[in-house]
Amino acid sequence: MPAHETLGEMLAARGISRRAFLKYTSWLATLMALPPGLAPAMADELAKARRQSVIWLSFQECTGCTESITRSFSPTLEDLIFNFISLDYHHTLQAASGAAAEHAREAAMAENKGKYVVVVDGSVPTRDGGIYSTIAGISNLQMLEETVADALAVIAVGSCAAFGGIPKAEPNPTGAVPISQIVRNKPVINIPGCPPIPEAMTGTIAYLLSFGKLPEVDALGRPLAFFGESIHDRCYRRPFYEKGLFAKSFDDEGARSGWCLFEVGCKGPITYNACATLKWNGGVSFPIQSGHGCLGCSEPDFWDKGGFYRPLSTPLRDITQAAAVAAGLGAAAGLAAGALHRAVKKDAAAHHHTVTVDNLEKSS
Amino acid sequence: MNNTVPLPCPDAPASLLRPVLAEIAALLERLAATGESGRIDLASLPLGPGDAAALEEALGTGEVMAELLVAGRSTVRETAYAGVWWVRHFGGDDQIATETIEITRVPEILLSHPADIAAAARRLGDHTGPASAGATDAITEDGPDAGP
Repeated sequence: MPAHETLGEMLAARGISRRAFLKYTSWLATLMALPPGLAPAMADELAKARRQSVIWLSFQECTGCTESITRSFSPTLEDLIFNFISLDYHHTLQAASGAAAEHAREAAMAENKGKYVVVVDGSVPTRDGGIYSTIAGISNLQMLEETVADALAVIAVGSCAAFGGIPKAEPNPTGAVPISQIVRNKPVINIPGCPPIPEAMTGTIAYLLSFGKLPEVDALGRPLAFFGESIHDRCYRRPFYEKGLFAKSFDDEGARSGWCLFEVGCKGPITYNACATLKWNGGVSFPIQSGHGCLGCSEPDFWDKGGFYRPLSTPLRDITQAAAVAAGLGAAAGLAAGALHRAVKKDAAAHHHTVTVDNLEKSS
Repeated sequence: MNNTVPLPCPDAPASLLRPVLAEIAALLERLAATGESGRIDLASLPLGPGDAAALEEALGTGEVMAELLVAGRSTVRETAYAGVWWVRHFGGDDQIATETIEITRVPEILLSHPADIAAAARRLGDHTGPASAGATDAITEDGPDAGP
């Protein structure tokens, strides 16, 4: 496409009307809880925008994030995003390979200097000079530093890019770090999740195009529109929690009756994400609706929090002894419990406790 | 957003029907008085089970029903209250992606956009020759398919 062409002109040439823009921004307004009256103005802005150059870097990851964003059913509403962006480099999806692929990345960087968006999935290994993950003979660390130098913004998708994720889980053999630890002089938006909800990824990019700025984020750099509320606060099982009706195991009467999964380890109360409202696979369901507690995958270090089936309210070790000592010293028992909890978590992290079937039976 | 399986719930939360109707009534009065449009995003409301259906029933069906084929399906329906429209946009798998009540003379999604109209005029002009004062005559005399 000619560089000066707007999205409106470009899509008109493909027979996509301005109604499609309005439909898209109406959907975006719903997704991001924006005032619905904004949709027509957003549609006009989007139509005036240029196609956004996107360079997608995949580092220490499992490709689940790419799977999530490319999940689509038929050419419809959700696919329009692929007309709004120009995915100039994505080594899993692009047809070019080898040196030609790297040239595509370099060409996009040169043509759109200062204007391209870098999307990163996966963490970056830093130990031993970053040799544990390389692409075309270039270490992830070097490729990231080189590619973000002239970027407009960086979007870290998935918990690995946002927080280090599973590669960073103890004992972190590759010295994996999140993107925000390396990119210091550019805005970094985190869209965690394992994988993230596709609408959270595409919605953030579409917001950038419509408003020419990045959305508001929380303390962990996550867009508030998608990560502003906890799973627990928007969970349809919440009324059972309020009434004290809990499933005690996955095959008891409570589980069959759809009661709250807090006591079988649900991390909904400490997890901020939009699963309970946007849901998955086109709004079909989400883990709790399918009968399993939330794993907390959009929170930092979710893998090292002492077990997916351990209720949040249980300390990791018997606290009575430590609490007694604390009481003797005049400290608040809660403080001691907190300190112990942190110590045990550190210990669990250091020794990399794995969850076995026995653990599951003990906690049920 | 729209569940196919009814989800268990210990007791139905208080219905939001009356406050939503009151908001629609207020927006409709404003439209009548000032001509200013309003919109309510149904997803933004914590509607209880059955609330949306009750709202649909309360608003009834008016004279206009339109189906749009634009990036999937959309439907626009005027309710029994003139100026109150129910707009549904469907996404992949024909699931409801967004649903709004629009309080307006005509929902914007139905209007042809000026940019599309200008492009259409150019396209039609390519078929019929230069869009000049004589263009109308050319169509009546030669039919729209006549080349220049």
